[in-house]
Amino acid sequence: MKQLLLVLPLAACGTGGAMHQATIVGQCAADDAACSRRHPLQPLAIGSHFHPDVTAEISGSTTPNLVLQSADPSVLAVEGGALVAKQTGATAVLISTEDGAVVDFQHLWVAKVTSVTLAKRDGDRIGGAIGLAVGEDITLVPALWNNAQRLAGDPDAEWRVSADGPIAILRDGSSDRRRLKARAPGTATVTVAVGGIETSVDVEVVP
Amino acid sequence: MNRLALALALALAAGCNPTLSAQSLAPPGRAARLDAVDGFWGIKSYRLELSRGIAIAVTCNHGGPCQKLHVTSDDTNIAEVHDASFGVLQPNGGPAYAPQGQATATAFVVVGKSPGTTKLHVRTDDGGRTIAVTIAAPPAPQRGN
Repeated sequence: MKQLLLVLPLAACGTGGAMHQATIVGQCAADDAACSRRHPLQPLAIGSHFHPDVTAEISGSTTPNLVLQSADPSVLAVEGGALVAKQTGATAVLISTEDGAVVDFQHLWVAKVTSVTLAKRDGDRIGGAIGLAVGEDITLVPALWNNAQRLAGDPDAEWRVSADGPIAILRDGSSDRRRLKARAPGTATVTVAVGGIETSVDVEVVP
Repeated sequence: MNRLALALALALAAGCNPTLSAQSLAPPGRAARLDAVDGFWGIKSYRLELSRGIAIAVTCNHGGPCQKLHVTSDDTNIAEVHDASFGVLQPNGGPAYAPQGQATATAFVVVGKSPGTTKLHVRTDDGGRTIAVTIAAPPAPQRGN
């Protein structure tokens, strides 16, 4: 019995996976609070990509070369190492060694986007119009929601601006984030669309 | 005397075939449940209920982790079986109250592929088990999903 009690805590080591041996997290910078790909524990938005960073925590072993396999590719597919959310539902993602031994698995959920909000790079939600002086810039990140549930994933977001003069929308290397650069005095409306769901913010540029 | 009775009881409980235990949780609103089907002489077989797309980890024990475990599915379109590497030590050999040693658990993972019923056959170097599997369709999405 004593030996059994000594063995039990080993099973609780590690986090994330159902077998407590491996973890799937998003590929984000450590200090990037607003990284929308960080949170694999949230449902993935339909149409979004999730670029996983898989680590295993197995006593006496470093992480072997691991491969991912979806139990239900119609819900969540594995394409080129990324998880691609296809339709609403739940599926197990198996984390296996190259020779097919399952080290762990995690159940992931997929949900459709019902609303989009915008946030600053630090995660602060945009609640109203933005004012910028010429030459200033601000980075915005779309946040995806299914009602009150925040969704994870890297969406194919479409960014539009109502007038070209006052601001420029610049890419910053991320597929979802954009940097708004104030170029000339005036006003413009920036619209972000993800899967047919839109949100807008008014931007005023002053001299 | 008490020791002899306990050893006899454990030997009877162990039976001639391995025992199986679920090692993972069902996600919310989905099924992942392994139950023993009892007969007159103890466990007769096992019953597994899974939702489509859901996985369950199962360990095999027969006085210690099973040796030469091989699990097959009658219909891999309904239930798929994978070998698993489960890094947990379990008591190995001797009676359960005083095991002689420890060994790494022997495990496999079952995945629900499509609704239906099938059977899994668990074979070890010292007996086997049959698991009657039912894969259920997931519930229809509710509003807002």
